[in-house]
Amino acid sequence: MYKAAHFDGYHSIPGVWDEMYLQSSDIRAHYQKVIDYLSQESPDELGKKEELAQRLFMKQGITFTVYNSGEGIEKIFPFDIIPRIITGSEWDFVEKGIKQRLTALNLFLKDIYHNQFIIKDGIIPIDAIYSCPHFTREMYQVDVPYDIYVHIAGIDLIRDEEGTFYVLEDNLRTPSGVSYMLENREITKRLFPDLLPNCGVRSVTEYPNILYKNLQSLSPRRISNPTIVLLSPGIYNSAYFEHTTLARLMGVELVEGRDLVVNNQKVYMKTTTGLQQVDVIYRRVDDEYLDPLVFNPNSILGVAGIMGAYRKGNVAIVNAIGNGVADDKAIYIYVPDMIKYYLNEEPILKNVPTYRLNNPDEQKYVFDNINKMVVKKTNGSGGYGMLMGHAASQEEIDEYKLEILKQPRDFIAQPTISLSAAPCYIQGALRPRRIDLRPYALCGPDGIEIVPGGLTRVALKEGSLVVNSSQGGGSKDTWVLA
Amino acid sequence: MLSRVAASFYWLSRYIERSDGILRMLKTNYASSQDAIQGFTWEPVIRIFSGSDQDLIDRLKNDSRTVINYMVTDKNNSNSVLSIITLSRENARGVQEHINTDLWQCLNEYYHIVKENSLVNKLKKDDPISALDILIKQVMLYYGTAEVTMERGPGRSFMNIGKYLERAIQAIDILDIKFGSINHNPDLLTDTTYWKHLLQSLGGYELYLKTYRDGLEAHNVLEQVILNNDFPRSVIYSVNNIQRYFDRLKLDSSMTDYQELSFFIGKLQSHIKYSSVKGIQNDGLHLYLTQLKDQLYQIGNLLNERYFANS
Repeated sequence: MYKAAHFDGYHSIPGVWDEMYLQSSDIRAHYQKVIDYLSQESPDELGKKEELAQRLFMKQGITFTVYNSGEGIEKIFPFDIIPRIITGSEWDFVEKGIKQRLTALNLFLKDIYHNQFIIKDGIIPIDAIYSCPHFTREMYQVDVPYDIYVHIAGIDLIRDEEGTFYVLEDNLRTPSGVSYMLENREITKRLFPDLLPNCGVRSVTEYPNILYKNLQSLSPRRISNPTIVLLSPGIYNSAYFEHTTLARLMGVELVEGRDLVVNNQKVYMKTTTGLQQVDVIYRRVDDEYLDPLVFNPNSILGVAGIMGAYRKGNVAIVNAIGNGVADDKAIYIYVPDMIKYYLNEEPILKNVPTYRLNNPDEQKYVFDNINKMVVKKTNGSGGYGMLMGHAASQEEIDEYKLEILKQPRDFIAQPTISLSAAPCYIQGALRPRRIDLRPYALCGPDGIEIVPGGLTRVALKEGSLVVNSSQGGGSKDTWVLA
Repeated sequence: MLSRVAASFYWLSRYIERSDGILRMLKTNYASSQDAIQGFTWEPVIRIFSGSDQDLIDRLKNDSRTVINYMVTDKNNSNSVLSIITLSRENARGVQEHINTDLWQCLNEYYHIVKENSLVNKLKKDDPISALDILIKQVMLYYGTAEVTMERGPGRSFMNIGKYLERAIQAIDILDIKFGSINHNPDLLTDTTYWKHLLQSLGGYELYLKTYRDGLEAHNVLEQVILNNDFPRSVIYSVNNIQRYFDRLKLDSSMTDYQELSFFIGKLQSHIKYSSVKGIQNDGLHLYLTQLKDQLYQIGNLLNERYFANS
């Protein structure tokens, strides 16, 4: 075994897939080089690297702001210096699975907003669709360029105790976090000189270029230099750093709703030379706030009339409006059926077993076994409003049950999956912590491309299974080996 | 260039310039308060930067520490250095992908220093001048960084227009209030250090000594601060630069907007250029300064309307 002190006391959690160790406490081959490197460093040295990482994040302003009593407090998204490593063959499997899934989801969105064959053929019950709050009637019979609805997807994957990958959720609206994938890699280059090339880690830097190429291809005006903008809710948004980073890396203008105006069903931005027509909008504003004339009338983040321009085909919007019907957690159940229905293929990536609480039998089963369940809102995100059955008190459970009974369609339950664990550097020593994986898939007219990597989120609290940053989660650099 | 981006450039730069003015003013006045035999009053300084609320003036005017804290670190004072640097930084955040990382980090650092507890303590207990110097140095660092890193495009032109507009207004305010508080009658003044402090707070004392050999005279002070083309804080120098940077926006403007503003700036420039100290004094200094200020405000309003799409 290794001498370095920070390896002492690393014990894989029983019954959990450990990304680094085999059951026999041997190291998995793809972690060998990193472990060799780390064991030459003293715990002090690693502590310094951790400090350096924090300083780099702070100095570059890679922070999000928490507003408290009128004063902004800058925080960094916690970063763990030990990379998470995925082998080439694992990646090939994941990549194939996501491509298959995304292809089916795009076909589903086209179908559901046009002919609705999948309902007519009885694959998905009609009430499952029409009860979904994100099913957007305004999108009915609207044609979108190349029939692509999901241009950018962040599919969350987890691994169970056998190491099998499962899809936990499909994020098809405005998935965030990709700037951390890019920045984490830049930081790792500084922390561990030469280690990346020595290990044969595939690069992720192509992401903004691929995205830009895809955005350009969507322009309704066939001109050589279409105007592409990134629409942000503004500097108070917690993901604002990501918006500026992507705008800078793609060389596109970052705009806010108040910079845009619609005239004669065309979208323009207000510039010092007058109005300039906008062709493609990569929006980071939710559907609900996009157009006060059609959706939330109180929104000041959006642009009045933009939906009209979009329906007319005068502007391309990325991701398409109304995608929420496909990543609703109650529709998630049907994704394997969609894959079979549209592609006539067996799903490569598995779904986590999911129970609908508006089905009386399934509801009874969930209530009887609530200690082994995670209950979620169908349109919730960020880890808010979840019930972790194994950790909740009887009181919390009773309260939550009352909530469920009020509006059963809004909830689903899944058995608690024991997420896989990876080593993290915590207070001078390596300790196993639970992780997930969010690769970013880009869908353009030439097909689906996934940069080899993604965001690995980690539950930094001991024993915690929740990786969301709002709930004390952090992230790691994610390596895919050649 | 997006109108909002142009406006952010303009304002981020105006606020920095204003913070510079406040800090220099505080530094000179603090130093002179240590010289004063009779009670030193901060009233003119408060009037220049915080308006003429008489209660406020009475509460602060005789206590150097309180004035300095109020004008540097008070969150509730919307024109304190802390408040305006916060605004400046927010404007910079909104155009982060247009400014160089160096410039952003410089502003970010300025903001974090103003918020530091150690600075607050220095202002309260230690020598306030060393604390003010730390902040003044941050401003200098900002100007150097902007000069070296900013792309020579419309963004920089809007920044410079904001900077010189703010600078011209400050010079005018300082003159107006300083002359106003002696009832525009310099002959009654026995203590010429009054002019020395005025010049020092604009960083123009040394230039004055080199230019005029016959001691500190009110009309020479006026000449330098309004009409000296080579004094970087004079009104004419600032207006010349507004004209210069506005001219570079020609290609980034619609023709009618450009012409209208260009006419206006040119008119103001000539108005100052063909003034003389004698003429100004004959017509009344206060009236003259008020006219200049109105015209500067009008330039600001036109920019707002025509370039920043805030009509």
